Amino acid sequence: MQIYLPIAELPVNMFIILGMGGAVGFLSGLFGVGGGFLLTPLLIFSGISPAVAVASTTAQVVASSASAAIIYWRRRMIDVKLAGVLVASGILGSSIGVGIFSLLRRWGQLDLVIAICYVTFLGLVGGLMLTESIRAMINARLGRPAPLRRPGQHNWAHGLPFKMRFKRSKLYVSVIPIIAIGVGIGILGSLLGIGGGFILVPALIYLLRVPTNIVIGTSLIQMTGTMAVATVLQSTSNHTVDGVLALILMVGGVIGAQFGARVGAHVRGDQLRAMLALLVLGVGIRFFVDLVHTPADLFSLATLAGDTR
Amino acid sequence: MTRLAAFLAFWAIALAAAPVRAEQLIVALSTEEVRITSNFTGTSIAVFGAIERDAATVSRAEFYDVVVSVKGPSETVVTRRKARYVGIWLNSASRTFVNIPSFYAVNSSRPLSEVTTPQILKRFQIGADDLVFPVSADDDAETAGPDDEFRKAFIRLKQQDGLYRSEAYGVKFPGTEIFQTAVQIPANVPVGRYVVTVHLFRDGAMLASDQSEIRISKMGFEQFTFDLAHNQGLIYGLICVILAVFTGWLAGVIFRKD
Repeated sequence: MQIYLPIAELPVNMFIILGMGGAVGFLSGLFGVGGGFLLTPLLIFSGISPAVAVASTTAQVVASSASAAIIYWRRRMIDVKLAGVLVASGILGSSIGVGIFSLLRRWGQLDLVIAICYVTFLGLVGGLMLTESIRAMINARLGRPAPLRRPGQHNWAHGLPFKMRFKRSKLYVSVIPIIAIGVGIGILGSLLGIGGGFILVPALIYLLRVPTNIVIGTSLIQMTGTMAVATVLQSTSNHTVDGVLALILMVGGVIGAQFGARVGAHVRGDQLRAMLALLVLGVGIRFFVDLVHTPADLFSLATLAGDTR
Repeated sequence: MTRLAAFLAFWAIALAAAPVRAEQLIVALSTEEVRITSNFTGTSIAVFGAIERDAATVSRAEFYDVVVSVKGPSETVVTRRKARYVGIWLNSASRTFVNIPSFYAVNSSRPLSEVTTPQILKRFQIGADDLVFPVSADDDAETAGPDDEFRKAFIRLKQQDGLYRSEAYGVKFPGTEIFQTAVQIPANVPVGRYVVTVHLFRDGAMLASDQSEIRISKMGFEQFTFDLAHNQGLIYGLICVILAVFTGWLAGVIFRKD
């Protein structure tokens, strides 16, 4: 069934978009990630302009992370104070990100920067995750216990000034790294249309030593808050959030996520992480190939504001 | 009414100026308004017409030629060319075209080069090759000639999107003095005022012209959403966020296990 998207200004097959949202939702439920990093590229590869794809996925990420955040909220697995600091700095970050987004559109370099960021971050995170999960799998096969993590151990991030106490996380750390993480994820999120969970969760665990049982709930609150603000900013400054597209993606996404989460419960953690790592690397490689491969057409059209024509 | 008045005025002038060319064009369109709704996947506009001659007109052996062109609202477009830097393809050189039609279709009874002379095509800007392409003041040239590679790329990309089209034998003559044609409007068509121009030729000479208008506009929900997004971005954004949180919450309620 064809449906006309009012902001993207083109008709799409509703069931294809619904299926896309469902498939990405399934994977995000399976791996416990937001799925924005898969959805934005999928939309771009299917012909929707990067500007609309990024902004509409932002709205979709709000839905999927809010859905999951509510569950963690009920179980009280959230550090509200830490989430508050992260959201506040995330809002600052997404304001910067949306500003950069508008500038790049005008210069005609948005697609390039999106592609380069995807290659860099997906390549880096995918590579790290893959080595870590392979090491875990080898350890499991050899019957060796996984190397013990020492949550109490301090690193350089704990030596900085402006310390703040987070009771729920049993932390007494400087706010500087927290704000830096929040701002960084905010910029990336609004620029790339991703929640950034796959960067935020490891950063909170390894850099700040946030206990693993509250890290996911806290990062979900950060994503919901930051991406909600990013959605509003994108619609006020770039007018590129397609509500119809976002709604179809949301519906597909939240349904898919429920099934993904059920399947995910039956798969071993290290295997899940290895699969996710391969997926992340695959998307990164796809963007890399597009960057270096001679394009079929060297020319492109755009309006002055940067809308692809 | 204004169309009719313009039509009559045009003919008053035309008849006074060229009493010899006594052919009159009568043109009818299948629609004057195209509405874009949620199930819009493109449409086609039929243009019908009759050539009326008064008794004094000498009947000649040559056939009539009719050229129907449809011009969309003008827009300013940046055409960019990619170049390779350190192995990576990125947008480098660009040219900005100002006030060029966002949509341009030309249907004719024969290829344009056979219908009339290049001078007339150029003077009346008939055919994509003879449209004037004004260039933004930032760029070097004032207008881009037909050999300009950015201009060529622009036309090629527009043709690929179905927004610039031409049908050399698209105008049919069911009778000697009656013609008809259909102009395809693709789904990605820009909204706005469209001008339909019909030119009548015989033996390479332009005998008559007629101009009429079509409005292409989004309707109902599509129009409302678009206006809201562009004029009330803050409210639109808040609605999207509320919708997102509500969808997320609803999913949690529906799929709640405990």
